[in-house]
Amino acid sequence: MKKQTEDIAYEGNAFLRLISYMKPYRGMFALCLVLVLGGTAMEILRPVIIGNAIDRYITGEEALSLTRDARFQGILIAGGLYVLLLLARFLLNRFQYLLMQKTGQNIVYDLRGDLYRHVLSLTMRFFDVTPVGKIVTRITNDVESINEVYSNVLVKLFQNGVKILTLGSIMIALDVRMALYSFLLVPVVVVLTVVFRKLSRAAFQLTRTRVTALNTFLSEHLSGMDLIQMFGREEQKHKAFCQKSEELYEANSREILINALFRPSTYLTYVIALVLLLLVGSSQVIRGSVTMGTLYIFIQYIESFFNPIQEMAEQFSTLQSALASAEKIFTLLDTRPDIPEENNPRILDKVQGRIEFDHVWFAYKDEDWVLRDVSFTIEPGERVAFVGATGAGKSSILNLMGRYYDVQRGSIRIDGVDIRQLSREQIRRAIGQVQQDVFIFTGDIAGNIRLLREDITDEMIRKSAHDVNADRFIERLPNGFSQHVTERGSTFSSGERQLLSFARTLAYDPRILILDEATAHIDTETERWIQEAVERLMQGRTCIMVAHRLSTIQHCDRILVMHHGKIRESGTHQELLALHGIYWKLYELQLLSRGAG
Amino acid sequence: MKIQTKKQIKLALHYVRGHLLQYMLGILALLIVDALNTRIPRLTGSLTDTLAGGLSGGNLTMADVWPVCMQILFSGVMITLGRFGWRYFIFGAARSIEKEMRNDLFGHLEKLSMRYFHANKTGDLMAHFTNDLQSVRQMLGMTVITTFDASVMLVMVVYSMLRYVNVHLTLIAIVPMILIVFGDIFFGKVMHRRFRERQEAFSELTDMVQESVSGIRVIKAYVQEHLEMAAFARQNENTREKNLNVVRLFALVMPLLDMIIGISLVITLIYGGYLTIQEQMTLGQFVAFNSYVTMLVWPMIAVGECISSLSQGMASLGRVFRIFKEKPDIKEAEDARRDITAIQGGITLDHLSFTYPEGEKPVLSDISVEVKPGEILAVVGRTGSGKSTLVHLLEREYDPQDPASIRIDGIPVSKLPLSVLHEGIACVPQDSYLFSDTIEENIAFGMPEKDGEAIREAAKAACIHDSIEAFPEGYGTLVGERGVTLSGGQKQRVAIARALVRRAPVLILDDALSAVDTDTEEQILQNLKEVCRGQTQVIIAHRISTIQHADHILVLEGGRAAEYGTHAELMEKHGVYRHMYDMQQLEKQLMHGGSGEA
Repeated sequence: MKKQTEDIAYEGNAFLRLISYMKPYRGMFALCLVLVLGGTAMEILRPVIIGNAIDRYITGEEALSLTRDARFQGILIAGGLYVLLLLARFLLNRFQYLLMQKTGQNIVYDLRGDLYRHVLSLTMRFFDVTPVGKIVTRITNDVESINEVYSNVLVKLFQNGVKILTLGSIMIALDVRMALYSFLLVPVVVVLTVVFRKLSRAAFQLTRTRVTALNTFLSEHLSGMDLIQMFGREEQKHKAFCQKSEELYEANSREILINALFRPSTYLTYVIALVLLLLVGSSQVIRGSVTMGTLYIFIQYIESFFNPIQEMAEQFSTLQSALASAEKIFTLLDTRPDIPEENNPRILDKVQGRIEFDHVWFAYKDEDWVLRDVSFTIEPGERVAFVGATGAGKSSILNLMGRYYDVQRGSIRIDGVDIRQLSREQIRRAIGQVQQDVFIFTGDIAGNIRLLREDITDEMIRKSAHDVNADRFIERLPNGFSQHVTERGSTFSSGERQLLSFARTLAYDPRILILDEATAHIDTETERWIQEAVERLMQGRTCIMVAHRLSTIQHCDRILVMHHGKIRESGTHQELLALHGIYWKLYELQLLSRGAG
Repeated sequence: MKIQTKKQIKLALHYVRGHLLQYMLGILALLIVDALNTRIPRLTGSLTDTLAGGLSGGNLTMADVWPVCMQILFSGVMITLGRFGWRYFIFGAARSIEKEMRNDLFGHLEKLSMRYFHANKTGDLMAHFTNDLQSVRQMLGMTVITTFDASVMLVMVVYSMLRYVNVHLTLIAIVPMILIVFGDIFFGKVMHRRFRERQEAFSELTDMVQESVSGIRVIKAYVQEHLEMAAFARQNENTREKNLNVVRLFALVMPLLDMIIGISLVITLIYGGYLTIQEQMTLGQFVAFNSYVTMLVWPMIAVGECISSLSQGMASLGRVFRIFKEKPDIKEAEDARRDITAIQGGITLDHLSFTYPEGEKPVLSDISVEVKPGEILAVVGRTGSGKSTLVHLLEREYDPQDPASIRIDGIPVSKLPLSVLHEGIACVPQDSYLFSDTIEENIAFGMPEKDGEAIREAAKAACIHDSIEAFPEGYGTLVGERGVTLSGGQKQRVAIARALVRRAPVLILDDALSAVDTDTEEQILQNLKEVCRGQTQVIIAHRISTIQHADHILVLEGGRAAEYGTHAELMEKHGVYRHMYDMQQLEKQLMHGGSGEA
């Protein structure tokens, strides 16, 4: 039923799109690449200096022809050169690394911002069907894994590619035959690495599945421990757990085996290459076609030549998983909001608060009509209540007014203007909505009333809270308005939450008040505060409410009775009672339940 | 504190003991690797010497080169085998130990009483199984290796340098390397802090997004999008900044490390070159020394790593240890009536009062009821009136302050052997929790031996048989995340079948029909009359229709018995019970009579 757009594979080329995010930073990136080239050159030069020094000053014909002092001087110069190289490399590496990471972080910052802005622009239909966790993962973890691409993988791939090419060329330039012998085992390393990647990936995935299976079992059985004990299943369940545990262990062992085989075997390849090189090199040296220094350089290079190959394989696989994340991110970015925003919205100078529903049909899904042909008009300053059983369509009417959803047929007008011609911002500023369940953000009480609007002063907060009686419970808190609260951690009763929500609404001073009363049981004292507060809230505003309390209903100018998506009865409290219809029954029921409380 | 640590180590050793052979083989392999590792540079060095000697006179042939190369090859093969060996043995042992601890931990948790599970959230307990066991494993695996490897390498390399090359050169070249150890300890701390800060920034970002997306309705209703975006930008900026803090440190530490190694190499070049020219050292020794210097890097870095991994591992071991130390607070009494092997089903509440251990106000006070075997006791009342507590006490999830105030067959529940009590009572708990298993397995949950016939009978009585058969996989259908999602009513009916199949003398339905529609409910109740003939039933319900046929009806209000009697008696009283009844009748009318449409 909940088919998410995100499950559909991303169509475009995620890699090219990732690259396109680098555009603003292409200068920096180009500089990075140049620096990488420099750094690589220095790394390659390092053994050359020592190799050279050996040939020219320590041993060999040339060295033996010099005096000891001259030889030592030569070494000192080589040492000095080496130190210079070290310093240059230190600075270069540091600078290049910083530049690269900063660029990566900047891109991630941009991307994350874009993504979040986009998510905020999506409509309630999207949030209805997409689990919160999924959205959060996109914005946090998925973006994070893309970071690797910009700040690491791309540059490293380049660096290693350059390294392999340069080392290869130098080796060839130094001595073709020895170079060719050195390359002999390269295919072996490549094959080993690729095969290992495959095996280890498979093993890793198997482990992941088994870990998940074990964790699911664990979390389920820890939660259902009362059942296990009640039904006396301890032994059986322990056996079942051990079984799962054993399966995980087996998967782990496989992973260990594969890793234990791979790493040493690449080492073995290196040793074989080394021995091969030594044999060939020695025979060349004996024949005099290669110097000792060249052999030294080759011995040094062969190791640095094998490493980049293995690294590149690793980087390709990182790139792969980053691309998977990128596809998910881009799919989310491409999700279009289903309520189009009018490009040239009409501006209402001052909202009067007249609301019309004109033959409105509405469904959350397909043709499951929640509202069927609903029409009514509410005059500015009027107080109207909607009553009816759960699922009658009351809350949908409130949802439609704020344009959280669009109607399928008919239209809704504020002050005579179709709300589709107004900007959503304008509509929502005009409407103050008190929701049934009040969401509490982490922060303090004042922050929960002001939300993010800094222009609402502490004074205004206090006044709003005072006007709706919210200060009565707020002042009981140890830290009053600066009491720290969280959504999960707060222990407010549902009545207190309502009062908090009233204060929030009042602080924003809307023209139209929409009130979705909480159904939960509220103690008598708070109940009295709420009644007073509602009365004050309604003052001078157009009021539309879904009411459950008799007191609120009775004071309304008009009551509309909803049943199965239609308005079935309409009139004042007295008129409706006289009808002896649905309203009368609802009323009787309430009276009875009052008596019980 | 000290004793605690000692006990922890004892616990770890207890597990290690079973794998001593593996550890010994692994460490042996490690030693072989380390010994041979220092041999290869020496061999290449001696080859160089041979070659250089040949060049400066003497007639050198390949026959002189071969043996050395073969020795290198042989060493390489041995190292390969050794490296395979230590990974295989030590990592394998650590994984085995992790598994054993995991199994024992679960077995231990099974023994703990519900109070422990109420006090410790599932997520927290899970963390012990995942994070804590992981760091214990790392301590017993990687850290063991690192410690041995680093110290052995260090000793061997330095020994080789001193013994085979040159004392002075060694002492001078090693000085910069010592810096690595100090740098490691110093930067390690800073790095750790910055890593933590980065992690915290990331969690803050996650929390913020999590919260905002959950509260998206408020954001939209109060037109906070732009402001929210600004707040997000700050958090985003903070994450970037904390990331860059780590990066900045890396950008210093990595090149610095490189630099230190470089300095050692320069010293080797200059001083070593000098010594070679002075002929106090051969070229081969010079080349070998170069390799030794690079080989020293790893042990130096390892020292810091060992320390931090060890402290993490011990902290985790401590947390695991604390669970093992936890004792169940409900256990079979010393003087339990072990002569009793089965119960009849008579239930007596004798002035029963109960306060939860962490609570202040009594949840139940002064309740007295007498139910004979085969009778039905119904309990009604608002949420929080203490109905479910009654079930907890019967199941002995908690003990009342006066153990004698709740009795089965005249014996205090606390004196019954636990297995007899649990076998005697079949319960359908309020949340009708099912496991992600097949429907059949779920129903058979409490059966010693699976009996397909009995399972189907129970499912029929619980009015769920037809729904099950309608699934493509029938009784083999998986429920839960990976299978079908059952509706609340279906879950309740499966849970009822699960209890019925046990044919226990006492059947408890804790608000177990709340999500079942009225017609089905009536049908199930009808079936129960047949199936449960002779069984004592305790039915907790909201709907009067569910319980009006009960032999005893107890109306609870705020933990007290507000009314007590049969349906007819209570209707006469015109009290709380009557009021509930009237309201439910009216509600029924409203649901049916409110509209002519479907």
